[in-house]
Amino acid sequence: MPDDSNTGAKDARGRLASRLLGGGTEPDPRFTLANERTFLAWIRTSLALLAGGVAVEAFMASLLGPELRKTIAVLLLVLALVIGGGSFFRWLNVERAMRSNSPLPLPLIAPVLAIGGALVAAIMVVFVIARPA
Amino acid sequence: MAAPNDPDPGDPARHGDSGLQPERTDLAWGRTTMAMVVAAALFLRWLPHHGWFVGTLVCGAIAAALAINLTQKRRFHRAVRGINRETMPPDLGSTAAVAASVVVLALLGIYTVLFLPLQP
Repeated sequence: MPDDSNTGAKDARGRLASRLLGGGTEPDPRFTLANERTFLAWIRTSLALLAGGVAVEAFMASLLGPELRKTIAVLLLVLALVIGGGSFFRWLNVERAMRSNSPLPLPLIAPVLAIGGALVAAIMVVFVIARPA
Repeated sequence: MAAPNDPDPGDPARHGDSGLQPERTDLAWGRTTMAMVVAAALFLRWLPHHGWFVGTLVCGAIAAALAINLTQKRRFHRAVRGINRETMPPDLGSTAAVAASVVVLALLGIYTVLFLPLQP
């Protein structure tokens, strides 16, 4: 960050960081970097869902009715929102667990992604089957 | 696990990690930038249908991609330093910022789909 010369802001940020991270000892930097990459993989998943939602709304006007199109687009965008926000808390919880040497928490966003993705796919399958030829 | 084997103190990019963690993390951030640009490009497709408001989404995604790109070097050197010193605080700022960007983009996207009527 460019404003690191401002010690007051740095102190405040340090306090916030230590409160969020909950003490403990710094883990091996390799684990911290691995956690960061996993977080980024979740973020890209979220961005892919976002792009999917935008694409449904933008490209499927001639195929889907307005209600169904909106439903699928909003479902994908909400899923992107939940995965995107959840990935930060996932990252934070893993970091906290590593600092306190406790077992890593289970990823709650994984079943959310699985169920959400399956739901959108199921809606599309029903639509394709029910659509008059 | 690879121990740092005498990193050259004169070169800030030199490290002894055989797992190439700084490089892989750097590339992961780079891929995230690309994904952000793809999202921006798709938002562009909304522009003729949903009006000027979508411009904020395009600009927001581009700004986020640019911000990640411009801070890449800083993060890479931070990781190398962390590997060499065997200790590194987690990058709370970068992760919080990129997660917040995605959340805001998704919220604005939902708003666009639900409340901005399609223009012919």
